[in-house]
Amino acid sequence: MLLILWEYFGSIDGSALSAVIPPPSRVFTVLVQSGFRVGLGSQAASLPTSIASTFFRVFCGMALAFVAAIGTGAVMSLIPFVRWMTAPVLYLLAPIAPIAWIPTALVIFGVSNLTAIFIVFMGVYFILTLATLAEISRVPEEFMIIARNLGGRGVGCWFRVMLPAITPGVFMLLRTNFIAAWMAVLVAEMVGLNDGLGAIIMMGRNLFNSDLIMLGMITIGLSGFIVDRILLLIGTRLIWWRN
Amino acid sequence: MVEKLTVNAVLRPVAFSLSDVAVSYTRGQTTTTPLANFSVHIGDGEITCLLGPSGCGKTTLLKALGGFVPAVSGSIDFGGRQIQSPIPDVVMIFQDHNLFPWLTVRQNVAFGLRYARKSGASQPMSVDHMLELISLTDSASLYPHQLSGGMRQRAAIARALVIRPKVLLLDEPFSALDAGLRRRMQHLLRDVWASTKTTMVMVTHNIEEAILVGHRVIVLGNRPTSILLDVATADKNFDDRYSSAFLGLQRQIEAMIE
Repeated sequence: MLLILWEYFGSIDGSALSAVIPPPSRVFTVLVQSGFRVGLGSQAASLPTSIASTFFRVFCGMALAFVAAIGTGAVMSLIPFVRWMTAPVLYLLAPIAPIAWIPTALVIFGVSNLTAIFIVFMGVYFILTLATLAEISRVPEEFMIIARNLGGRGVGCWFRVMLPAITPGVFMLLRTNFIAAWMAVLVAEMVGLNDGLGAIIMMGRNLFNSDLIMLGMITIGLSGFIVDRILLLIGTRLIWWRN
Repeated sequence: MVEKLTVNAVLRPVAFSLSDVAVSYTRGQTTTTPLANFSVHIGDGEITCLLGPSGCGKTTLLKALGGFVPAVSGSIDFGGRQIQSPIPDVVMIFQDHNLFPWLTVRQNVAFGLRYARKSGASQPMSVDHMLELISLTDSASLYPHQLSGGMRQRAAIARALVIRPKVLLLDEPFSALDAGLRRRMQHLLRDVWASTKTTMVMVTHNIEEAILVGHRVIVLGNRPTSILLDVATADKNFDDRYSSAFLGLQRQIEAMIE
């Protein structure tokens, strides 16, 4: 339905709309004609490569943030002193938008994958750490009491009881925060990095090429949807005992 | 442990000896002392049931026996050891089964075995044997949410018993079950006791359950916690819920609690 409306409004000759939003038939024709490559000359990158590099950045950043957040949450919940020391810092850094880190990241890591990964990491790490702490406090007190009563001690016991108890909740929050990470990496690609899906839009803007902008937007939308599905799949695996 | 004491109607070896025990909680500025100057002996290898009105301190007493709340004064002697924190020899089963939802029944039951083997304490039971004893062999690969209420509570009992604790503490374990299931669980608990001879201390609100399951029933009075009645119910007369002895005792306890 949306496609039909878009095709209809985009194909009206001479309208301002068709200049800004070219119809899907034209966008896809351009895409096929260019052999799925976007860009000029030697700088041209194939569309699959762009998608792959954006995916790589988002997944790396999110995976690192997930592990680091659970690690931080664990240490904070086990050692009250660490909690007392780090909690204010966490609340101070959490509200900083991930895109605000872009200039700093560019200086530190240069124009590289690391920058994008760092920005994704910053976009989800703080919120996930706070989520981990919240999840830990929500785990029934009896779980740890019983585990200790049955002889469980120390970090090993924490990994056997607390980790499986909190992982699904934290992961679900990772999924909801994926959008933030996704936007952060796109912005990073627009302003700093030369490849990736964000770069396609910026290239379209620089070349006054609305086909390219449209193509970038469609790809971003579809890719985002696919990533969300993948995360959902991983999520249901993580709570296998409910299936 | 082998010393025989004639205290509080017990003529058996003693598992726990409590003398002048006090337990208090501090929440904010207020301190409550649900248990003060309390003394009792809990017999070894028998089922002791604790009855009493709400807030009389029976659950606190149970938690103190397990070391879940420390005694602020007095002593809790357990076979020559002082109970100050939870130990695997004394395992508690809570009102809610609290099975780990990410583990199957078999994995839940086996949870404590890893630690039991390490500590090399009393020889633990095999998981299979335990599952058979508690009639859960067919459901071993199911997850807790796939089980009925009774099965969950059975699995929780199995998880506690498999490491062969010397004492099992039960805090109203069957209160969430319907009457029929509750009866079956009471019989099952007696059967489990018959084959393991584990010392059990059970808190319950149900007078009939206490008389039926327990070898000894202690009725506690309201604050300060005191023993109103201490009666041996191991006698065959108390196995029949319609016998005059049973009904008489039930009536007597009812009058005390209400």
